[in-house]
Amino acid sequence: MSRGTLRVLLFTALGLAVFPLAIHPIGGYPGLATHICIMAIGAVALNLLLGEAGMLSYGQALFFGCGAYVSAILVQRAMPQHPNLLLAVLGGIVIAAAVAALIGALVVRLYGIYLALLTLAFGQMGFFIVEQAKDWTNGDDGLQGIPAALLYLGPAGIDLQTPLPAVDLGPFGNLSDVHLWYVFAAFILWLVIWFVRTLNGSQFGEVLAAIRENEDRSRMIGFVPHLYRFAAFVIAGALTGLAGGLLALYDLKAVVDDMDINRSGSFVIYTVVGGVHTLLGPAVGTAVIMYLEDVGSGFLAKYPQLPGWQWFEGLIFVLVIVFLPAGIVGTLKRKRKPDFEKLLAVKR
Amino acid sequence: MSALLETRNLGKSFGHFAANAAIDFSVAAGELRAVIGPNGAGKTTFFNLLSGVTNPTSGSIVFDGRDVTSAGGPQRVRIGIAKAFQTASIYNDQTVRQNCRLAALAHVQGGFAFQVFRRSQHLRNIDELAENAMELVDLGAVAETRAGDLSHGDKKRLDIAIALATEPKLLLLDEPVAGMSKDEAHKTEGLVKRLATKMTVLIIEHDMELIMGISDSITVLHGGRVLASGTPAEIRANAAVQEAYLGGHTEAELHE
Amino acid sequence: MDAFLQAFLNGLVLGLIYVAIAVGLTIVFGTLRLVNFAHGAFFSVGAYVGLVVANKYGLIAGFIIAPIAVAILAVILDRIVLRPFYNKEPTSQLLLTFGIALVIQESLRWFFGGTAQQYTLPPELMSPFTLGPLVYPAYRLAFAAGVVVLLAVVWLFLARTDYGLIVRAGIRDRIMVQLLGGNITRASTIVFALGAGIAGLVGAAASPIYSVEPTTGFDFLVPSFVVVVVGGLGSFWGAVAGGLLVGILKSLMTLYYPPAADVIIYVLMAVVLIVRPQGLFGESEVIRQ
Repeated sequence: MSRGTLRVLLFTALGLAVFPLAIHPIGGYPGLATHICIMAIGAVALNLLLGEAGMLSYGQALFFGCGAYVSAILVQRAMPQHPNLLLAVLGGIVIAAAVAALIGALVVRLYGIYLALLTLAFGQMGFFIVEQAKDWTNGDDGLQGIPAALLYLGPAGIDLQTPLPAVDLGPFGNLSDVHLWYVFAAFILWLVIWFVRTLNGSQFGEVLAAIRENEDRSRMIGFVPHLYRFAAFVIAGALTGLAGGLLALYDLKAVVDDMDINRSGSFVIYTVVGGVHTLLGPAVGTAVIMYLEDVGSGFLAKYPQLPGWQWFEGLIFVLVIVFLPAGIVGTLKRKRKPDFEKLLAVKR
Repeated sequence: MSALLETRNLGKSFGHFAANAAIDFSVAAGELRAVIGPNGAGKTTFFNLLSGVTNPTSGSIVFDGRDVTSAGGPQRVRIGIAKAFQTASIYNDQTVRQNCRLAALAHVQGGFAFQVFRRSQHLRNIDELAENAMELVDLGAVAETRAGDLSHGDKKRLDIAIALATEPKLLLLDEPVAGMSKDEAHKTEGLVKRLATKMTVLIIEHDMELIMGISDSITVLHGGRVLASGTPAEIRANAAVQEAYLGGHTEAELHE
Repeated sequence: MDAFLQAFLNGLVLGLIYVAIAVGLTIVFGTLRLVNFAHGAFFSVGAYVGLVVANKYGLIAGFIIAPIAVAILAVILDRIVLRPFYNKEPTSQLLLTFGIALVIQESLRWFFGGTAQQYTLPPELMSPFTLGPLVYPAYRLAFAAGVVVLLAVVWLFLARTDYGLIVRAGIRDRIMVQLLGGNITRASTIVFALGAGIAGLVGAAASPIYSVEPTTGFDFLVPSFVVVVVGGLGSFWGAVAGGLLVGILKSLMTLYYPPAADVIIYVLMAVVLIVRPQGLFGESEVIRQ
């Protein structure tokens, strides 16, 4: 492992370790932190598509919902007595990846608006199927109150709802506010970031970057771009399914909102605000937006004469694209304002 | 002598417009063949058909005994047909060495390799291939320079190096000296001669002096079709070629 | 009247709205090379402005004020935000205009509230129009006729005027038009305002038929994108054919199997994108390998 990678991973681990407590004085709480970690995985997946492979997918909610529903159904039906968290999540990942492979085969030869529209179309079709397949998904009501799954690393299952030992940390609350669920979710996010970092530096990532920079030349030296895009699409789908599975098992429910077009849009917003084409951008963007949403909604509820949170979210998004196209992390890393188009680095 | 590359009745039409039509063409291994013709004769289209950038609307292409008519661009490169573009197509944000390494990587790993954990450094021979390619085009001195910062002439030679790093059997050069100064053009002429000793080379060019000097044979395209084919001397003497392309100039006028 | 005929006519009315929006989308793309995800917002703004003005000063006033207001909004957006993004790669345009659409949508929610509103027609216009077996609301027929006239005017503009020529040429080869001296920037702003104005006018005129909510624009926009895909980006008649097809399909599906009404158009779009990405009438531009 290179020194740069080691530094980034340590930095990330540190950040994740203090995160749930650091946000306490500003109105955050560990439950929010856990949600952020889970959603950040989805944002990292989208960045793999948008920032590395140059594909804007407006349908990631399809895979998120797949992961959520499959994990929930597995826990509810296949193992109600001994719900195994890892197996359930794994099931979600496998199905999400399979669906991504099916759709990917159809989608990877398209570009730009056509790709975005087709992925959006599939996302909506998935939403429809989930609403209609009431026997499995309970339609609009969703699967509520599923049994809490335990983490089996050995013969004994760990209940992730167990709080950490009580240690009073003054303005940062008490350590026992944080549950093992956060530790687990943060660890998974950390692993995902490590995986993406490795992937970007790997032979595969090198070719992906080359295709992004000059696709015509890449073809004329022998690379086959659509196979690379296909692989990226399936990996992103699997990671998004992982996020969906984790959310379902954490919230103990799988709802139709998980497959909503807004969910797809959210991943895009988190990634762009945090910084497309950066390693930590998606996670940072998720944290910033979700935190602002949580705190902001509460604040704005007191002032009905002000617009709702969605308005501010849209405004932030637009301002970032126009003034900070490299996103929060990207702008911190660069000196000059880059070309948004080049960041997305899609052809033509 | 067996042909390395042969096309039969090759044609490419865009709607009613026939950019290439009924082209029967063959080049033997080791030849240095020039493809010339006035602007709009269909030379670049022909190269696009050979390199797989576009697919023909009629006819067939046989390379090294295999029918490659339906093979896509990436596949053609793997089979051994490499191309240097008219406008150098390179990776501007990477160094000269990295550019060549990418081409070498493509050559060694194939069209797709799912190596998500290992770095490409584990493939030892890539560096060697890249080094050789850079040396052949004499860009070793600027190996660590960012490609986008190179001079026009160096960019074109890098483009050739990228093609060379894929160890081609047939090299297509599309106007390699266009836009170059006299010195750079001279250097490139030497490069082309060197390359011709190692592989089969097809070259599109307008510089008649260059063409007549180095080619083993010449094919003349006109209006999308083959007008004439032969040795430089034969082409110089060919009246139809003179009229269509050289505008009726005498041999003496050509050499001024 | 026969339920099928009713649904079919509803589909035509709906389809005409899609055509109007799609035509705006397509000519904006043609001149500005801008994929405008905020185009539906023009429809919404037109609907709300039309509603407010109509409630005070009557329908006709609404039809006049709404498109003007929307055109002004379009010009403001053009000058302040969108200019640098013309001719850029569609992905960044999509993202930016998606954000703008969100802001406009939420602004409408802020001003007008989230509940659905509808313009109440005076009794004469509410009554059905009867002609043999045909019994159909008079206003809807008038609306349909109005949109057809509007589209005919747009077609005339494209086919017969100088600006229209620039637009059509720009769809095919923008750089060539500039080289030939066509003032494509001025034509662009006019065309952008025109496209927006069309959407705004149709939005205002549609407010008595369909209830208006902040999300209405988006609800009409996505099928309109489907229309553009099905018909072919850049093709006027493609937008017409596609719009009517999508409208009728959706309406018939609402009659026979309501839950699938939305998804059927997504299926249609998916099929077109996979089998013939350039659409029915589109140029075979290279949008896939």
